[in-house]
Amino acid sequence: MRMRTKIIAMILVIALALGLAGCGSSGGSSNGKINLTFQIWDVAQKAGMEAMCAAYSEKNPNVTIEVQVTSWNEYWTKLEAAATSGKMPDIFWMHTNELLKYADNGILADCTDIIETDKFSEVSLSNVSGSNGTYYGVPKDKDTVGLVYNKEMFDAAGVAYPTADWTWDDLVSASEKIYNATGKYGYMAYADEQLGYWNFVYQAGGYILNEDKTQAGYTLPATADAMKFYIELQKNPWCPDQNYFAETAPGTAFFSEKGAMFLEGNWNILPELQNYPDMVGKWDVAVLPKCPNPASGDGRATISNGLCYATAANNKNLETVKDVLKFFGSEEGQRIQGESGAAIPAYQGLEQTWVGCFKDYPIDVQCFIDMFDYSIQSVNNASRPEWKSKVSDELLKIYSGQVELEAGLANMQSIVDAASAK
Amino acid sequence: MKKPSKLARNGSTWGLAMVAPTIIGLLILNIVPFFQTIYMSFSKTKAFGAYEFCGFANYIEMFQTPEFWKATWNSVYFCILTVPIGVFLSLLVAVLLNAKIKGKTVFRAIYFLPMVVAPAAVAMVWKWIFNTEYGIINTLFGANVRWLTDPNVVMITCAIVAIWSAIGYDAVLLLSGIQNISKSLYEAAGMDGASKVRQFFTITLPMVSPTLFVVLIMRLMASLKVYDLIYMMVEQTNPALTSAQSLMYLFYRESFIAGNKGYASAIVIWTVLLIGLVTIVQFIGQKKWVNYEV
Repeated sequence: MRMRTKIIAMILVIALALGLAGCGSSGGSSNGKINLTFQIWDVAQKAGMEAMCAAYSEKNPNVTIEVQVTSWNEYWTKLEAAATSGKMPDIFWMHTNELLKYADNGILADCTDIIETDKFSEVSLSNVSGSNGTYYGVPKDKDTVGLVYNKEMFDAAGVAYPTADWTWDDLVSASEKIYNATGKYGYMAYADEQLGYWNFVYQAGGYILNEDKTQAGYTLPATADAMKFYIELQKNPWCPDQNYFAETAPGTAFFSEKGAMFLEGNWNILPELQNYPDMVGKWDVAVLPKCPNPASGDGRATISNGLCYATAANNKNLETVKDVLKFFGSEEGQRIQGESGAAIPAYQGLEQTWVGCFKDYPIDVQCFIDMFDYSIQSVNNASRPEWKSKVSDELLKIYSGQVELEAGLANMQSIVDAASAK
Repeated sequence: MKKPSKLARNGSTWGLAMVAPTIIGLLILNIVPFFQTIYMSFSKTKAFGAYEFCGFANYIEMFQTPEFWKATWNSVYFCILTVPIGVFLSLLVAVLLNAKIKGKTVFRAIYFLPMVVAPAAVAMVWKWIFNTEYGIINTLFGANVRWLTDPNVVMITCAIVAIWSAIGYDAVLLLSGIQNISKSLYEAAGMDGASKVRQFFTITLPMVSPTLFVVLIMRLMASLKVYDLIYMMVEQTNPALTSAQSLMYLFYRESFIAGNKGYASAIVIWTVLLIGLVTIVQFIGQKKWVNYEV
C-alpha cells in the first residue's frame, strides 16, 4: 500500500510541475514575433485551417498561428475553464449552441467592425449575434442536412431514387418497399435534434423556439404532429428502434449496408467518402423530403447551422488577432477553407469551392447548396446548454414508452420555458 | 523536556523538505478543491465561475428530484452487484494463482492485464461484445438479450465488465497477503489431517483478512464512485440511461454539460457522505472478522 501512495504522490508532483510549466506559454510575443494559438475540435478540418493560417503568415511574417485540436467532448469543458481563468486560446471556433452563453457574459470580443456584412446571409449573421444583436464572431461556414441513400438497395427494390419532389409519404413507401424486397432497414429515424426531428418540425410549419427565443413550441399542434410522425416511424418494421440506435449509430448501420437512408450533415460527407472507400459509388445524397400537409409554409425546411471564429474580449494582442479574424472572414480566407473541403464557406458566392472538392467522387452534393434557399437557423438561445440534455432525456422517455407522447411534449415545453425565463 | 539535538532538527527539516512537494501537491490539487466544493454546493453557480451563496437550496432541490434518488440507488445497486462477487472471485483467483501450477507467472500476468488496459478501451470492446444485433454473445448463444438497452439488464452488464477488469488487481493484492502466510501453518495442518478446503477456511481466510479488508474498502469506494465505465458503455442516447446513471455520471452531466456546478457539487458532497458512512460501518464491522494476530 505504501508503494501505491508513493506512486500517487509522485504522479501528483509531476502533474503539479507540468501544470506550472503549462502556464504563461500562450499568446507569447518575443522580439516582434507574435505566436497565436487557434483551437478547433474537428481533426478533419485541421489541414484546411493550417492552410488558411499559412496564407496569413505569408503576408504577415511576424505572426505565426498554431492550430490545436481538442475533441468535441472535451472542447467545451476546456474552453469554459480557460474563459473562467482568463487564459483562452487567441482564436477559437464557436458553436451556436454555446455562443450566446459566452457572448452574453461578455467573454467574446466585438467583431462588428471586421465583418463584411453584405457578404454573409442573414442566417450566418444571426448565428454570430449575441442577444443584444452585436456580432461576436466572424462567420466561418454554414451547413445543411440532406438525405443520404443507398443506391444499390433502391435498385434491388425497384424504387426510383429520391427526388426534390419527394414527400414524407414517399419516404415511408420507399422504406417499406426496400424492407420487403431486401430485408434491409429503410429510413433510419433516431433520437436526434439537428439530424432528426427538428427538420420535420419546421417542415410541418411548427417550431422549437419562437421568434424571440423566449418560449418553446413543443405543444403547438404542428410541432406535436411532426414529432408524432417522426417518433412513430420507429413503430414500423422497416425502422430500427431506439435501443438499436443506442448501440449502433445510424451512420455505422448505413455504411455496413444494414439500412437504406438516414439524415446526414454536409460536413460529414467528405470524411465518410474517405473512411469507407468500399462504399464509394454505392450511395448518394438528396434534398430532404417535404411535408405533404404543412400547417404553414411550403413544407420545405432543413436545419442550417454555422460555426464562427471568435476571440476573447480581453485578448492581449486583440489588434493582431482581429486582423487575423478579418482575413479568415475575407473572400481569400474563405476560399482556402472551401477548397480544402473542410466546410461550405459562409461567404456568399463561394459555395462552389466546396462542391468542387467532390469532383473526383461519384456523388452529387449540389443538393446541400440548393437547400440554403429554405434553410432554418439551428435552434438556440442563451439557456440552451441548460435545457439541451433535459429535453433529450425526455425524448428518450417517449421512445422507451415511459412517458406518453403528449405528456412528454408538455414536459419538454415546460423544461425549455422554465430555463429560458431565467 | 529535552531539546532535540541539532542532528534531529536537521533531519526533520530535511524530512519536511522532501515531503513538501507531495504535501503542496495534495493541498493544491485535493484539499483546497475539496473545501471549495463544499462551499460551492451551497452556491448558485452561473457561467464562468460566478456564484452566489444560496444556503441549502441545492440540497433541497436535489432531495426532491427523483432522478437523483434513482442515481443513488443505481450506485448502491452497482456496489451490491460488483463488490461481493468481485472480491470473492478475486480471492479464488489469488488462491489458485498461489497453487503449484505450471506457468503461474504467465497466468498472473494474464489476470493482471485488464488492469493495464485503459477503461475506455475496455468499455469499447465490451460494448461490441454485448451488442444486441451483432454482438458475439447473442450470436454465439442465439439469445436476444438487450444487454445494454434493457433497463433491467444494463446494470448487470456494467457489473460484469467492472468485475472482469478489477479481478486482476485485487487478486494480486490478495496474493501478496496469502504469500505472507507462514508455510509451517499449512504443514502443521496437513500433518493433523486437515483437508485443503478446511485449510482455506481456518488458515488462509483469517490470515489474509487484513488484506481482504483493504481490498473490500477500496472496491466499495471505487464502486460507489463508478463513472468512466458507465459513461463509455451507456451513451446519452440510450433509452436505458436513467437505469444506469450513477451518481458520478449524474454529476458529470449536471456539472459539465448543463453547467450547473453548484448543484453538481451538492451531488459530490452527498457521495462523499455516502462513502464515509459505508466506510465507517466497515471499520466498525471489521472488529468482528479481521484478524491482526500473526
